Amino acid sequence: MSRFDALTQAAARRVASRTSRRSLLGWLGRLLVGGAALPLLPVARIASAAGTPSGVGKIEDPESCDYWRYCAIDGFLCSCCGGSASSCPPGTTPSPMTWVGTCQNPADGKAYIVSYNDCCGQQACGRCMCNRNEGDRPPYLPWVSNDINWCLGSDNKIAYHCSTALLVGLADK
Amino acid sequence: MASRIAVSVLSLAFLAPVAPHAMAADFVAEAAKTAPLPDGPHRVWLHDLATVNYSKATLFDGDTGKLLAEVDTGYQGQELELAAKTPRFFSAETYLSRGFRGTRTDVVTIFDARTLLPTGEIEIPAKRLLGMPTSAYASLLDDERFLLAYNFSPASTVSVVDLERAVFVGEIEIAGCALIYPLGPRRFASLCGDGSLLEVTLDEDGREKARKAHAKVFDPGVDPLMEKAVRAGSQWLFVSFAGDVYPVEAAGAELAFGAKWPLASADERAAKWLPGGLQPFALHAASGRLYTVMHQGGPGSHKDPGRVVWVYDLAAKKRVQKLSLAELATSIAVSQDAAPLLYSAFLGAPALVVYDARAGSRLRAIENAAVWPALLQPIAAVAK
Repeated sequence: MSRFDALTQAAARRVASRTSRRSLLGWLGRLLVGGAALPLLPVARIASAAGTPSGVGKIEDPESCDYWRYCAIDGFLCSCCGGSASSCPPGTTPSPMTWVGTCQNPADGKAYIVSYNDCCGQQACGRCMCNRNEGDRPPYLPWVSNDINWCLGSDNKIAYHCSTALLVGLADK
Repeated sequence: MASRIAVSVLSLAFLAPVAPHAMAADFVAEAAKTAPLPDGPHRVWLHDLATVNYSKATLFDGDTGKLLAEVDTGYQGQELELAAKTPRFFSAETYLSRGFRGTRTDVVTIFDARTLLPTGEIEIPAKRLLGMPTSAYASLLDDERFLLAYNFSPASTVSVVDLERAVFVGEIEIAGCALIYPLGPRRFASLCGDGSLLEVTLDEDGREKARKAHAKVFDPGVDPLMEKAVRAGSQWLFVSFAGDVYPVEAAGAELAFGAKWPLASADERAAKWLPGGLQPFALHAASGRLYTVMHQGGPGSHKDPGRVVWVYDLAAKKRVQKLSLAELATSIAVSQDAAPLLYSAFLGAPALVVYDARAGSRLRAIENAAVWPALLQPIAAVAK
C-alpha cells in the first residue's frame, strides 16, 4: 500500500470516528456556478430550493473537514493539496462547472451559497478526504449532487485532483 | 534481470555435482501458465475505487477468503455488467491517453467470463457519468442484447450499445432525468429531478420507439428517492431518504406504482433510524428478503455507514430480522444460493467482511481487499 493510500484511509477513518452525521468518503462533485461568467441568481434559487441552510461548521480551519464551508463537500480538500479553500493547487485548473451547497457561517450566522469547484488535471490528491452531505441529492438533481466528477467540463482534464469551496453568494435575502 | 538469470544458471551449475540424482532424475522445469478460474457458490466481485483514480474489480471466494483474480476497469470505473446467457461480462470504462491527461476515450469492454481476459471493446461517446458508482450508471437490458450507459456532459443522454452486432447504436436524450433501470429486454426507466419517472421503450435496432413520463412518483423536495435501488424480479424497489420503499412493477405493459411502505416503525423513525451508504440494499431473491444497512442519522446522513442490517420479507412488507455487523458498512450484497452469504464493505476501511446471511454470524474478514472498497457483486457458481 502506498503512503498516499494509507493517508487516505487514515483520514477517512478519522472522519468516520469524529462524526456520526458525516458519511465517509465519496468524492467529486459540483455544478454550474464555477466561473464568474455564470449568473449567480439561478444558482441561488436552486440552492435554496434544495433545502434549508445547514451545516454549521465548528472549526475555522480550512484544512479540517469541520470547516463551515465544507457542509456539502465530497472529495480531497485542496487546502491540504497545495491550494486553499478557494483556489486550486498549481498544476491544476478549476472545473468550469460545479455543484452547490448552502452552509451557515458561524461567524456572522448567515447562510452562504458555496460552489464546490473540482480542481482538475492531475490524479487524485489523496489527502484530507472529506465528505459531508447536507443538501446533497442524487444525480437526477445534478446541480446539488456531490457524487459527480465535475471535471467533465474541462478540456481533456477529466482527472479529478481535489475540491474547493468558493463563496458565491448569500442564501438569505 | 539478465544478471539474475545468469546467477541462477551459475547456481545450478554448482549444485549439480552435489546432488546429481535429485537434479537429474526428478527435476521437472515449470512451464509458464495461467491458473484456471476457480468455481464456487460464493464468489464476489469487489470494486476498488483506489482513491478515485484508475479502478479495478477483484474477485474473492467468500468461503475461503482467497483472492481469485482481478480485472482493471479504467478511470473511475463502475460495476461490471454480468451476463447470464453467454459466458461474458461487460464494463463501461473511461481511459485517458496519457494516464491522467490526454484524450478521453470511453469504451464498453467485453470480457470472457471463464478466462477474465478482455476479448473486445466497443467505443461509446466519451461522456459517461464519472463519479461515485451505483449500479444504475450502466445496465444490461434483460435479454442481454443491449447495454446502456448513462452520459452526463452535463446534458443527460443514454448511450445504446448493441452487443449482438458489437456496435454503438446511438444516444437517447433524457433531459431532466438520470440513470438507467432496466424494465425488460427493450425498456428502461430513469429517475427525474421533478419527481417523475421516465419510461423509454426501444425498437429491435436499439433506437427509441416510445417514451412515457410518469408524473409525481416521488417528491424530491420533501423526500427524495435514493438512486441506489434493487430489483426483485419484475419489480424495482426504490427507497427514499426517509426510509420508505417505493415499488415499481414492470410485469405488465403499463408500469404499476405500488403503495410505499416504511422500513422503520413510527418509534424507530422518531429515533432517526435511516437507510444509508453507497450500496445499502441487497436482495435474496429466492427467499424474498430485502437487506438494508441502517444507521441513526438525520438530514444529510443518506451516505452514512451503518452497523446494523434490517431484513424484510418483501411479500409481507415486514421486518423479520435485525442483524448486527461487526464492522461499519457502506455496501452490502447477498449471494443468491440456498445458503447465502452476506458481504459487507466500508469505503473507509480496506476489508471485505463475510457473514452468514441468515444467522448474521460473522464468518471472516478478508483484509486488504481494496484501497477504497465500493460496490459488491456476487456471482453464481457456473452451471454444470
